[in-house]
Amino acid sequence: MKVSLDHLKRYVDINVSVEELCERMPLAGFEIESITRQGEGISRVVAAKILDIKPHENSDHLQICQMDVGEKEPVQIVTGAQNISVGDYVPAALDNSFLPGGVHIVAGKLRGADSFGMLCSGEELGLTEADYEGAGVHGILILKGEPKPGTDIKEVLGLDDTVIDFSITSNRPDAGSFLGLAKEISVVLGTSFKAPETNYKTVGGNINDYIKVSVENRDLCPRYMGRMVKNLRIAPSPEWMQKAITSAGMRPINNIVDITNFVMLETGQPMHAFNYNDLAKKQIIVRNAREGEKIVTIDGSEFALTPDMLVIADGERPSCLAGIMGGKESEIEADTTDLFLECAKFRRDNVRHTSHALGIRTESSARFEKGTDIKNIEYAMDRALSLIFELDAGDIIEGKADVYDSLPEDRIIKTTTDKVLELVGIDVPKDVMGDILNRLGLPTVIEGNEMTVRVPSIRDDVEGRADLAEEIMRIYGYSHIKGRPMRGEVIRGSKLPERKKADSIKELLCAAGLREIATYSFINPAAADMLMLAEDDGRRNMIRIINPLGDEYSALRTQLVSSMLSVLATNISRKIESARFFEISKRFYGELPLTKQPDEIPTMSIGLYGKDEDFFTLKGVVEAVMKLFGAHTEYKRSAEPFLHPGRQAQVYANNVPAAVFGEVHPAVSEKFGIDQRVYVAEIKLDVLYAINKRKTLYKPLPKFPAVERDFALLCSAETLVGDLERAISSGAGRLLEKIKLFDVYTGEQIPEGKKSVAFSVWLRSAEATLTEQQTEEICRKIIEKLEKIGAVLRK
Amino acid sequence: MKEKLAAIINAAVSAASEAVDEKQIEDIRVKYLGKKGEITALLKNMGSLAPEERPKMGQLVNEAKEQVESAINEYRKKLKAKAIELKLKAEAVDITLPEKEVCAGGLHPLSIVTNDLIDIFQSMGFDVLDGPEVETDYYNFECLNVPADHPARDMQDTFYLADKILLRTQTSAAQIRTMENRKPPIRIICPGRVFRADEVDATHSPVFHQLEGLVVDKGITMCDLMGVLEQFAREIYGDDVKVRFRPSFFPFTEPSVEVDVSCTECGGKGCRVCKGEGWIEILGAGMVHPNVLRCCGIDPDVYTGFAFGIGIDRITTTRYKISDIRLLFENDKRFLEQF
Repeated sequence: MKVSLDHLKRYVDINVSVEELCERMPLAGFEIESITRQGEGISRVVAAKILDIKPHENSDHLQICQMDVGEKEPVQIVTGAQNISVGDYVPAALDNSFLPGGVHIVAGKLRGADSFGMLCSGEELGLTEADYEGAGVHGILILKGEPKPGTDIKEVLGLDDTVIDFSITSNRPDAGSFLGLAKEISVVLGTSFKAPETNYKTVGGNINDYIKVSVENRDLCPRYMGRMVKNLRIAPSPEWMQKAITSAGMRPINNIVDITNFVMLETGQPMHAFNYNDLAKKQIIVRNAREGEKIVTIDGSEFALTPDMLVIADGERPSCLAGIMGGKESEIEADTTDLFLECAKFRRDNVRHTSHALGIRTESSARFEKGTDIKNIEYAMDRALSLIFELDAGDIIEGKADVYDSLPEDRIIKTTTDKVLELVGIDVPKDVMGDILNRLGLPTVIEGNEMTVRVPSIRDDVEGRADLAEEIMRIYGYSHIKGRPMRGEVIRGSKLPERKKADSIKELLCAAGLREIATYSFINPAAADMLMLAEDDGRRNMIRIINPLGDEYSALRTQLVSSMLSVLATNISRKIESARFFEISKRFYGELPLTKQPDEIPTMSIGLYGKDEDFFTLKGVVEAVMKLFGAHTEYKRSAEPFLHPGRQAQVYANNVPAAVFGEVHPAVSEKFGIDQRVYVAEIKLDVLYAINKRKTLYKPLPKFPAVERDFALLCSAETLVGDLERAISSGAGRLLEKIKLFDVYTGEQIPEGKKSVAFSVWLRSAEATLTEQQTEEICRKIIEKLEKIGAVLRK
Repeated sequence: MKEKLAAIINAAVSAASEAVDEKQIEDIRVKYLGKKGEITALLKNMGSLAPEERPKMGQLVNEAKEQVESAINEYRKKLKAKAIELKLKAEAVDITLPEKEVCAGGLHPLSIVTNDLIDIFQSMGFDVLDGPEVETDYYNFECLNVPADHPARDMQDTFYLADKILLRTQTSAAQIRTMENRKPPIRIICPGRVFRADEVDATHSPVFHQLEGLVVDKGITMCDLMGVLEQFAREIYGDDVKVRFRPSFFPFTEPSVEVDVSCTECGGKGCRVCKGEGWIEILGAGMVHPNVLRCCGIDPDVYTGFAFGIGIDRITTTRYKISDIRLLFENDKRFLEQF
């Protein structure tokens, strides 16, 4: 809320500097958004008298002026403006002067003629018509009177006001007005506060002879008040009012419109003036819009209305969008003679809904949305009438329309000082507590411990002891709060098992040289196509965001691979030679259309590229993760569309599918803009988290030597090494200690369609050294098993 | 005989002293002490001596043997030491050659900061919980004292997935889930990812991270809140940091405060970082609103509590002086390697 400091001083005694005020108000709950000092940035601009004007020889629009700027000799300034005459007093920016916005004026030549400065328009000085008469004119600002040449222009124009923009939190709509802020300032500074008194006279008559007011929807319009003013004398509003309106960021129009706007700014209660003569059947009906009704608002836009929108209609059609904007038809214009003045309360959710639906936000709608006080209506109306009377803007008719069911009683909070202080933890003297609340307009009686606070409807936000504690503390000062170390029962702080497990994976992967990445949880749904997922792939059923920031971020991800590929692509495009990344995040699955919270499945992605990386380095990382959870793993061929068909595998952890990994399909890489081999894995952490890791128990170190035997096998080129290992393992039985592949060979000496595979096998017994005989027996069994799958010893 | 022995010893020791390598030394050993060596031969010849001379001579020859043996061993040791010295000298490397890289990975800076925060609060007895990222309107707003169409909802631009289902805008939702499931004393934190419909720029991200804290017990006051936050601030910003409360408004706390710390750059004198104010806003906090306690079945007349919400991304960017929040989600390896 922007407000002129000069204007605020009409209500409250401000006895401190702007700086101090702006330091103290935030500590009472009102942050300062900005401080604008009028004339800020203006230097070496003075009042000057035009002594002589000559046309410029080399230009048809420039003029050369001799200026009295208060120095001994006149100063020559070239200007392009035409609205000046000899003898005028104007603002002159001298050599090395500054204008608002950092504009620096220095002496120079204009088409060959020396110019030692610049004559200024109102706009160039940051002024509008409201600040100084004539400031809005196109051309040089002509000063009133005969200011002494050389006088600082800020002094001449009275540019010494400061506009402060206070931030008003949404629980304090009452403070979003000149009066509300002035009151807060008075409490903070401990100075006096005074709201303007109301006082007006009517010209008699009876409003009921002019108009019939009815409220059809009292739920959406709990109170509607109206008055009649005849014989309007439309004119500009006085300078002080225009300044107050302008400083708050609004535009002055005429005395009637300005009064309604000013009263809104002053009291927080929006008002609306209807051109009485445009109201059909001399009726005001507050009702819901009817199907098919339309309205053209004062800004000229046409809106189609729906029945959930509240309107103020005359006897025929909507004349105003309740609380938002008036209709063009009944707008107050320069020739309007009679007006009907509205001051009402509309339900904030309805105003909010209509304003959002139609995309119109006004000063009025903003206030209704935040909430207005039903009891403030009376004062606001009286204030407006007093201003009409004072400015002699029209004749007020006796009587008012005032439709409401009931007005709320003041809320009475009964509590104890102890209960209030219990939240705060420090002692505040009772008289101080009472004094603060009373000054804030919350009449309080404290007897002993008992505390009774009367809360008027304008402070609807104050509900109980917690609110009282806040009101007291923000004025008493939070600096009184002294920190106290955590106390209470000793509680052991612990992490959830899932977080601990995730931490241990991260530790493992970091040690293995991987870097953790962080990517958004939402992706472009086109990622499904980039990954070449089948039409019926479940991962295409992404939950969509109804109001996304754009397609790019519009779907919750059902896989982490596409995010990982984008990150790899970024790094590759930046000529980074190699990378090993992982991310632990969530996949989201829900039945569409979504009716309940979706499943959030903990998932990890891994991505590698670079000259040292291949399918097997990735397999090593995946296997290490599986081992961390004590999973027994099996690797089977898989058919992920985004992976190389011959270089991918599905990992089973204790017989449950737990991961897929492999080299990325070149067609997919290309879609991501990747021109080299990259490797990705996606691991279902939910599967790993569910594994009950067996307790680690110590096994005695071997006492007896192991026997090592090598097997060089010839088998079909199609045979998987894993199958050979399984055969060896089943043949060797419980004495098997380790199998190690040491060679795979095809080529010379190997028949077409065959390959040679060589293993070292270690056998060991915990009880005794294996005899030659035992070893041979085991080897025989191993060979037997191998032969069953078509592998024979190479001769 | 004695003279002969002395000559042999002299010759042997002098030969050993001149040996330049292991082989020469070995040859000398063989020459004097080997099976056919000169001293060994003397011992073998003992039989030809008169029986009464044998012990004396035996002793003399044995002494000579020991003398030669020890001399040879000594020179052998010296030779060995010399050889090692030469070898080591030859093996010297240029220590400024580049190292063989140990391929160390590392955590994302957000994780590093989150872990630090967890450590701080865990040491104060806070349990570390997690909550769902997709929330219902009830947990994200309604039970947090933000009823439908309340203006406070304007404070946060929410991503909706369906009617009353949304991406959580704050970790505060975890407060409700905790209080529904636990009875006081409650002391928890919930770090996690949150979402707001903010256009992406240097200081805004639609995805960011918060750490919610909640304490509910009998007799919890704002002094306790201050105590916990002071402890937190000291751990994060150093022992000299000052903490202050500034009144504010959040629907789920009353009283509500913004929490500032004295500027870490200038110590409170006012500088560019704190925009001349001497203070930097770091988090929002307050006493849990009675309506929120009531909504969770906790009697606000018996129990009080406080809650706070820390912006993890903000702490990360200030700690590492990261000027653009987008860097956190871009994952350039050269960026990640700095942490």
